[in-house]
Amino acid sequence: MTAGLASRGANSGRSILDRLVRYALIVAIITVFAAFSAAAPTFLAPANLQSILVNNFTLLAIVAIAMTFAVSAGGIDLSVGTAVDFASFAFVSLVLSGQPVPLALLAGVASGALVGAFNAVLIAGIGISPFLATLGTLFIGRSLQQLLTNGGNPVYLPPAGIPEAFRFIGHGAIFGVPFPLIVVLVVIAASAAVLSKTRFGRVLTAIGIQTSVARYSGIAVPAHVAVTYIVAGAIAAIAGLILTSTVTVYIPSSGNAFLLNAIGATFIGTTLSPLGRPNIPGTVLGVLLLSIVSNGLLLTGLNFYWQQVGTGLLIFVVLSISFVNQRAKRRA
Amino acid sequence: MSVNALFTSTFDTDSETPPAKRRNWGGQAAAIALRGGSFIAFAAILLYFSITAPFFFTIGNIGNVLGQSAILGVLAIGLTVVIIAGGSNVVTGGIDLSVAANMGLSAAVYATVIQLGYGDGLAVLAAISTGALIGAVNAFAVVIVGVVPLLATLAVMNVVAGLELVLTQNTVVPAATDFLSFLSAAGPFGLPVLAYVLLVFTAIATAVVQFTPMGLRLYATGEFPDAARAAGLPVKGLIAGSFLASGFCAGLAGILSVSYLSGSTTGAGDMLLPVVVTALLGTVFSRRLVPTIIGTLLSALLVGFLVNGFQLLNISSTLVNGVQGLLIILVVSATTLLRRQEN
Repeated sequence: MTAGLASRGANSGRSILDRLVRYALIVAIITVFAAFSAAAPTFLAPANLQSILVNNFTLLAIVAIAMTFAVSAGGIDLSVGTAVDFASFAFVSLVLSGQPVPLALLAGVASGALVGAFNAVLIAGIGISPFLATLGTLFIGRSLQQLLTNGGNPVYLPPAGIPEAFRFIGHGAIFGVPFPLIVVLVVIAASAAVLSKTRFGRVLTAIGIQTSVARYSGIAVPAHVAVTYIVAGAIAAIAGLILTSTVTVYIPSSGNAFLLNAIGATFIGTTLSPLGRPNIPGTVLGVLLLSIVSNGLLLTGLNFYWQQVGTGLLIFVVLSISFVNQRAKRRA
Repeated sequence: MSVNALFTSTFDTDSETPPAKRRNWGGQAAAIALRGGSFIAFAAILLYFSITAPFFFTIGNIGNVLGQSAILGVLAIGLTVVIIAGGSNVVTGGIDLSVAANMGLSAAVYATVIQLGYGDGLAVLAAISTGALIGAVNAFAVVIVGVVPLLATLAVMNVVAGLELVLTQNTVVPAATDFLSFLSAAGPFGLPVLAYVLLVFTAIATAVVQFTPMGLRLYATGEFPDAARAAGLPVKGLIAGSFLASGFCAGLAGILSVSYLSGSTTGAGDMLLPVVVTALLGTVFSRRLVPTIIGTLLSALLVGFLVNGFQLLNISSTLVNGVQGLLIILVVSATTLLRRQEN
């Protein structure tokens, strides 16, 4: 213990820098948070902080977690938005036709899982690379939605016909905590537990790091990969359900708006892991960073369009720091 | 085809060919079918539309399709160069997600320069430099910093799309000059000038990528970077060059889009996925199933003809997305299954 302390003292300058780099993501969040608190007086208001969590954070966090599952298994899922849309469509259609809300919810999650199952067949069954398979799914999904909605017309729920349970999902609260926030916390906790504490999660990580080694160790790789994409579809579907009950409308192909930010957050999150692996805490912090930035830039009254520039630059800086760090480690 | 069948049958009856060998023949036959199949499918689509839509197979219509495919084609060719140099693994290999946003910004720069009262010469220079500069940023992030291309270009894409919004305030910036109307008008033989631009550009790109030592080095870098490095190739330089080339193409596509739409419009980012699909689908039109410039051109034209034919037949052109998705999945499944059989 003392030896460790002594050696750490010897090159403490270096180790502080190391830590700053290792936790670049957390440093970035704190910096951004502090900067906005100073720049925009309303930023720290409880209402605004809650708005960051409910409006900016919730949906992206769920979609990004779905993405994290696919990326941990060494793949990528470009069709998360498609799962969001299909869930949303099934949910709205069933509620519109007078079915009970729980059944509609179940059907929504099932539609998302179905999108995932289609990916699973292509990736685990046939062996197509995940990027191409899910890109194909994205395109087919886009056309299917156009067909289902007569060329892309939104499906509205009439304000009078909205069941109470439906409204609760998007706008309800338990003990003052907004219901969407409770859902996202449950999703985060459950997926973090699955990825880091269960056999399934460790197997996924193994597949993601070295598929061939996993296969030679006797792991049923295709089955695990298949389950991963189905799970990713089902998780993304939850975002679709919350989105729909918040805005009470289904807009075709609107889920794709999450895609690039979800990829960004997942890979920003990999900087938190010493091995550069995707992980749920990292992804969640990545989403938090993006949410704070987009909310804060809006509040500071900066031109609305600078938001995207700022977000892009931030992603760029965090990624650069982490990749430079990984390289330095590899050289050492 | 028939020759193959003949050979296999004689081998089957007369000699003790090991079963593995026989399967190989089947695999080869299937491979030939697949390689020819893409061209047959293309021809079948053209034939179908020519029969069902009376105006489809006219010089004028084909010229229109060529002209309308110019922007997509130029962008996809740029992306193809990146895929060739970076390898076919899309996550860690060559991909440039910033092409569409880059085109949007270049177009906005062009239109803004015209609005400020400067001439076409300066506007062309500004648009091309914008494109190339963004390419240089990608090259820097990928080669010097070492960020995976998928992520580096994703971040650059966000920045560039934001800069376009800042520059145009999310409005249409009109631009009308003699040069732009020349580009969008009809040229010799009644074909649009954009069609000629696409053909000439493809010819130059093919000459450089397919027929020069530098082109071969690009392929070597993409297929086996370690071997290319061991052979003394400037791997980093080639990869950086490929991103520059793709940025240049995006700048050029920006100019074409300003002339095609009489100004810079928002929503260039929607082009991204079609461009990616076009470039990836292009591998089908090559003998060895590798990305090639001509293959990408054919793939862009296939999309162009599909959209055009659907329009002539009054079918919703949104179905084209689905057809593209199905094509990708079918083609890639076929190749994957074939490769598995060959091994």
